[in-house]
This record gives sequence, structure tokens and C-alpha cells, in this order.
Amino acid sequence: MPEKIKVKKRGNELGFQIFMLSTKLFGLRGAYGLLYIVCAHYLLFDRPAVKGALAYTQRRFSGEGIFKKYWRVYLLFVNQGKALVDRYAVASGYDGFKINVEGFDQVKNILNKGGKGCILLTSHVGNWQLALSCLKELDKDIYLLMRPEDNIAVKKYLRIDTEGKQVKIISPEQDFGGTIEVMEKVKNGNVVSIMGDRKYGFPALEVNFIGDKAGFPFGAFHIAATLECPVIVLLTAKLGHRDYCVDFKNIIRPKYKGKTDKKQQLKKDMQAYATILNIFAKTYPYQVFLFADVWHKQ
Amino acid sequence: MGEENKKLKIIRKKLKVLLVDHLSLEDIKPEDIKDDEILFGEGLGLDSLDAVEIVVLLQRNFGLEVKDLNKGREIFYSIDTLAKYVAENMDEKAE
Repeated sequence: MPEKIKVKKRGNELGFQIFMLSTKLFGLRGAYGLLYIVCAHYLLFDRPAVKGALAYTQRRFSGEGIFKKYWRVYLLFVNQGKALVDRYAVASGYDGFKINVEGFDQVKNILNKGGKGCILLTSHVGNWQLALSCLKELDKDIYLLMRPEDNIAVKKYLRIDTEGKQVKIISPEQDFGGTIEVMEKVKNGNVVSIMGDRKYGFPALEVNFIGDKAGFPFGAFHIAATLECPVIVLLTAKLGHRDYCVDFKNIIRPKYKGKTDKKQQLKKDMQAYATILNIFAKTYPYQVFLFADVWHKQ
Repeated sequence: MGEENKKLKIIRKKLKVLLVDHLSLEDIKPEDIKDDEILFGEGLGLDSLDAVEIVVLLQRNFGLEVKDLNKGREIFYSIDTLAKYVAENMDEKAE
């Protein structure tokens, strides 16, 4: 079982209600406006969040002075805030976003073949929760390997655990980090979503990510190679005020050739994933919401 | 009773060979693994990803699916518990 990770609680009932009211009264732009004040507060007082964001911005925008570094962090906070506001809007029934979906036919083809399902590899980029709404047209259950949300306000307003009956949570806090349940669901033809860019206590392998060595968890790749099922990389990005793109085009098919040095065998596929994220970070630098030093050796 | 013990002994031996053969157990021979040695964490030091391999090994070699997730920790505790699970469930399948 992976070590239990302490996650700092951010956001409370009052805060969410203020954003909810702003969205209702002034629309999305009104709620976005509030973010500039709230994010300034986080920039000044939330040291763990700033430290986590700096780990990314210092690498993505290397060689810049201190003022610029913090300015990048601030923009990152604002963009994540916008993603959360959009997420709240969608969870509340707002359907004004134009979502351009690419590669979804490939997902349908894989699942329509019957037999095994697939692993949907998500990352802390864009607005992956919003992308999950695209999967609702599949006649399949979607499982998320994630800690049950224990911040009541976040759970209530962002509907973390109750996206709908089709989306269900597999807790990594159960025996064997939930891996046995993940396998069972994939074997039964379902889609299981696993985060690929933060290890949360799971074993990791080194990859090159934004010009430095980073530790990415290899569990998703190991399960896929063992079950011989595909890994679909899910990317989402906000293109404009109400425009999103959701990309299912990148499919990785990990496979073990022989029984020896399996971790080494996974490295190539994991690097392929890291390279996809590298390209994303170059294209959408303010939509990488890792907020953790994945480059730090632990 | 003697027949049952003999069967368990054969399963234990097969399981040890499979674990050494498929998991990253460096410098460990099947005969080095004790029947009651804890497999995960302390003991043999297996982790959650090795559990993935064991599930597949049970399916491929004994035709068994581990469906009762609540019993996972209990079943995978040691070679002894694993062998008992295999023996009992193979019997059920045969019936």
C-alpha cells in the first residue's frame, strides 16, 4: 500500500459560495475576476503551493529573475482557478463550453472490441475532470483511482465523488493501493483513470521531463503491460474563454518482452508519456498544475 | 488428510517457483522462501505492483480470479495462505 499523503485543504464553504454567486450574477468572467484577488492571497501566504509551483516554473521558464518567477506562479494560480470555476459551471449544468474532442473514435474502437478495457492516463494539466464528461457517451463505467475527497466544501461544490453514477472512485488507501481492483475493472472491460505524473507514494521511475530528471509512477504502465491493455493519454487544454480541446489521440501499448528487468522495459513507454507532457507544457505553459516537485529525489 | 497435505506441498512449491520466476526477486531461490514468510512489506518485501503479477499468475496457472478484494491481504499474506486459497478454490472449480 502506498504511503498516506497529507494533502493541505484549500477552499471552504464560504469561498465556494462567493464564487457560485459571482458566476450566477456576473457570468464566468465575473468569477474569473475574483480569482486575481484570491490568487494574490495564495501567492503571499500559501508557501507549500508556491514552492510546488516554483518547481515547475523554474524549469519551464529557466534563467529568469525572481519577480518574473513569482509572476509566472501567480498566472499559474489564476489559470488553475479558471479551470476550477469552469469545472463548477459544468458540474452545475452549464453547457456553454465548446469542447473539441480528438481521437475519441480510437477509444470507442478499443472498448467496442469487447474483452479488456483500458487505462486512461490523466495528468495535472488542463481540466481533466471536465474531459471526463466526454466519456459519458460510452456505455461503460469509468473508475478513478484517487483518494476520496475529504474536503467537504470541495466535494460538495466540485462534485468530486459524485460526477454521476457512471464515474466511480477506487481508493488507493485499500489493500495493495487499489491495484487489484483496478485490474478487475480493466479485465471486465471498463475504463480506469490513473494519474501518471505524480506518484503519491507509489513506486516511480525516472524520466526526462522539462529538462530535468523527474519521478513518475509506473503503476499504470505495469498494470497495462501485465494485462496487455492499452494506455490512453488524456490531455485537455483551455483554448479560449469558452473553448476547450480534449485529446485522446496518444495511445501507448506497454508490453513485457520476457521476465527480466521489467522496470527497465517500461522506461521507453514512460518516456513517451513524459515527452507528450513536455510538448503540452511548451504549448500551454500556464495549464500545468502539478504543484509538486516531481523532480525532487525522495 | 495425507492427500491434502501432499497437494498443498505441490502447490506451495509451484507458487515459489512462479514468484521467483516472474517477480523481481534478486538472488532468491524458490527453496529460500519459507512457507510462512510474510510476502508483502517486511519479509519478502513485495509491493502493490507485485500483487498485480500474482493475480495474473493465479489466473494463468491455476485458472483462479481473485474477486473478493476484502480478502486480498489475507490471501496474499504468505505462501501458506496463498496455497490454501489455491487448493480450496481449485476444489470448488472442480466440483
